Amino acid sequence: MRRVLIIFSLLLMLIFVGGFWISGGDAARSRAIIFCQAGQIHTLDPAGMTWMQDIRAGLALWQGLTQYDPKTLNPIPGVAKSWAISDHGLTYTFHLRRHARWSNGAPVTTANFIFAWKRMLHPATGAGYVEMFFHISGARAYFNALANPHAIPRPFSSVGIKASDRHTLIVHLNAPCPYFLDLMAFPPFFPLNQASMARFTVRSGHSFAYYNPRFTRPPNLVTNGAYRLTTWKFHQYLEFKPNPYYWDRKAVRCRELRIVSFSDSLAAFRAYQSGAVDVLSFVPPEFTAALLRQQRAGLRHDVHYRSVFGTYYYIINCTRAPLNNVLIRRALDLAINKRQIVDDVTRLHEKPLRVLVPPGTIPGYHSPHGLAMNVTEARKLMRQAGYPDGRGLRPLKFLTNDTDSMNTLVAQAITQMWQRNLGVRIRIATEESKAFNQDSVHGNFDIARAGWYGDYMDPTTWLDLFRTGNPNNHSQFSNSQFDELMHQADIEPNPARRFALLEAAERLLVDRYMPAIPLFQYTDGLMYHSREIGGIGPNVRMITLLQYIHWKHRPRGGTHP
Amino acid sequence: MMRFLISRIGQSLLVIFVVYTCTFWLLMAAPGNPFIGEKQPPPAIIHALKVRYGLNNPWHAYWAYPWRVITHGDMGPTISYANWTVLDVIRSSLPISVSLGALALLIALWLGVALGILGAVTRGHWPDLTLTVGSLLGISLPSFVIGSILLLVFSTYWALLPSGGWGDLAQVILPAFTLAAGFLAYIARLTRSGMLDEFSADYVRTARAKGLPPNRVIVRHILPNASLPVLSFLGPAAAALLTGSFVVEKIFAIPGMGEDFVNACLDKDIPLVLGIVMVYTVMLVGFNLLVDIAYAYADPRIS
Repeated sequence: MRRVLIIFSLLLMLIFVGGFWISGGDAARSRAIIFCQAGQIHTLDPAGMTWMQDIRAGLALWQGLTQYDPKTLNPIPGVAKSWAISDHGLTYTFHLRRHARWSNGAPVTTANFIFAWKRMLHPATGAGYVEMFFHISGARAYFNALANPHAIPRPFSSVGIKASDRHTLIVHLNAPCPYFLDLMAFPPFFPLNQASMARFTVRSGHSFAYYNPRFTRPPNLVTNGAYRLTTWKFHQYLEFKPNPYYWDRKAVRCRELRIVSFSDSLAAFRAYQSGAVDVLSFVPPEFTAALLRQQRAGLRHDVHYRSVFGTYYYIINCTRAPLNNVLIRRALDLAINKRQIVDDVTRLHEKPLRVLVPPGTIPGYHSPHGLAMNVTEARKLMRQAGYPDGRGLRPLKFLTNDTDSMNTLVAQAITQMWQRNLGVRIRIATEESKAFNQDSVHGNFDIARAGWYGDYMDPTTWLDLFRTGNPNNHSQFSNSQFDELMHQADIEPNPARRFALLEAAERLLVDRYMPAIPLFQYTDGLMYHSREIGGIGPNVRMITLLQYIHWKHRPRGGTHP
Repeated sequence: MMRFLISRIGQSLLVIFVVYTCTFWLLMAAPGNPFIGEKQPPPAIIHALKVRYGLNNPWHAYWAYPWRVITHGDMGPTISYANWTVLDVIRSSLPISVSLGALALLIALWLGVALGILGAVTRGHWPDLTLTVGSLLGISLPSFVIGSILLLVFSTYWALLPSGGWGDLAQVILPAFTLAAGFLAYIARLTRSGMLDEFSADYVRTARAKGLPPNRVIVRHILPNASLPVLSFLGPAAAALLTGSFVVEKIFAIPGMGEDFVNACLDKDIPLVLGIVMVYTVMLVGFNLLVDIAYAYADPRIS
């Protein structure tokens, strides 16, 4: 009997030691900066990057034709040292740097861009952001022909992407796109090192090669940005070290960067407090209000928080009765006290919004007014619509997701306002996010929570969401006047006149037709001690450019005071 | 014996088959599309991704999947971690969950038996009463409460141990004790009551009458008989602990399989969910099979 126990225990000991030995990362951290993200990396293939954490890592490893200015986030020369734009804004000629190098020392040439962009444009690559390429002439037709098995494939030469030599890339657009240089810094437009990927080819077809995703793992991954990927332990950490061949390597001051993630924001915060993590890419939502209070009282200085380029709003299903009646949609907006939501419910004192594009974020763009709270007017509209005090109105289905406990609280507060002010009864349906997304797409709601962070500094990143036929137009709003204004803006070469058209288009949304109810501007932030860490900071788009991060001064012992 | 073995193995295979079938049926019935995020890609992209991951296949194609796994040794790619295959994920997270579980079981076993003996010999006095209350708490408190208390005391107030992570021995202590707590308390109770039953037995009186020292009586004579119920508890305990715990892994930020499993379910990552469910099922069924065989071996009445 005792023998059984002893053998059993020895076996357990063996399992523990063996398992620990196999899985244990080295906990030594030396001078590495430990950067904690909110979620795990989903992919390091630029074609598949849509998540914030993937994009952030992508921007540290790769560089597009342009890159973001660390202060203003305006596009500045990246792999391209200069460019020329034709008079009508339709042709971009990029001149690549001769010193741009991959992390294996090979030169970055136009062939790398053409290879990557052609791959993006193949439906089988499964690139979530492929629509960003449709500004390029012929790109949409090329993609659609490949996607349709009965269509005749079009040659890639029909797409407006040409290389006149190894260092000159010419891109033709369908219509002027004022934010095209901005897009050139974004992961879908990164170049790829074809030579290093070749041995991961799984099958090669007429115009398509599928690559085993193992090409993204060290030591296979070859990148052209500030860092190279030296280690990736799944679910544990990624280690970046400076790319010795990067053309601007003097600007990279961090010698070792580790990216970790915790699925539990409390665990992440504990790790940060104990000094095991140097930077948190988010402020833990459970504590944000309390942390900001402490910061205001001067008790801490490590919360870097600001309003960002994102809007929290509700969309209304414009095809279902009774909300296909614009009077009720207006009444719903007029009856909400948005100030009370940000002061008493979220308690983060976000800016309440009456418009969709956060005002003041885009230079030169003047937001329309939108509706101010007015309960009397709202009641009058309900009477006009034939539902005085909500009589005769069926209960409305409100759809929200459970990713953030705040969503439900905000929904409860607002539905209460609607009930009290208008007599509108609401049934709140909280769903986990995959089901929520599906129900949003299928229009299975009357009112739904929505949030949108702008992808590029242009009003169209929001306004496109309300165009007829846009797959992200979940409110199924369709208005010919709006579509016409958007179309005119598409082809308008003069930036000021273009903004005027977009302002008129947004005015239709927020002053007249209300397919959406704007609530407030998102706030977001980072946590780090600015005495120790420099080169990062919260910016309006929450793009953290890890290439500039560095130690300023490191206190002995490694724990935060 | 042979017939018993064959029928038990047959039953186990049937259980695995049923679990597998139910899992993929449930996954297909669950709402949501793994490829639709907050931003919706064009339909052609969603279609291409469905083809790549085999989600357009008819439902009975899923029965061919285990066969492919066995013959090719490949469980296919994951959806939510596109750069890693299902096998990569399991290979990286299973050792972590298993080794944490093994340590927890070691702690539960030895500390549990030791405390059980202590309780039995000090029966009715304060160590016994403290242990009785302690084991009641250990059994009834859920692990997230125990884990949070341990974190608060040993990591926040006294800063003796790290709050989480994996890779350093110090990081293993708190989660192992949290995971062990319930089992430890149960084993202590089993040992204590087993010992008390034996105290009054004739052979114990004889051993004492021979003039053996009390320690020797306990270790040599009472314990082997008193620990029988503990031994039979070890089978299910091993199965439960070695497969990992989502709650403990989440609290202590341990990159184990429990967390991968829950994330995979939320992301509707069908290949990963199927892979992990299969690993869990094979482990659980395997442990139970081993325990049954051990019983049959020890007790000739079972056949």
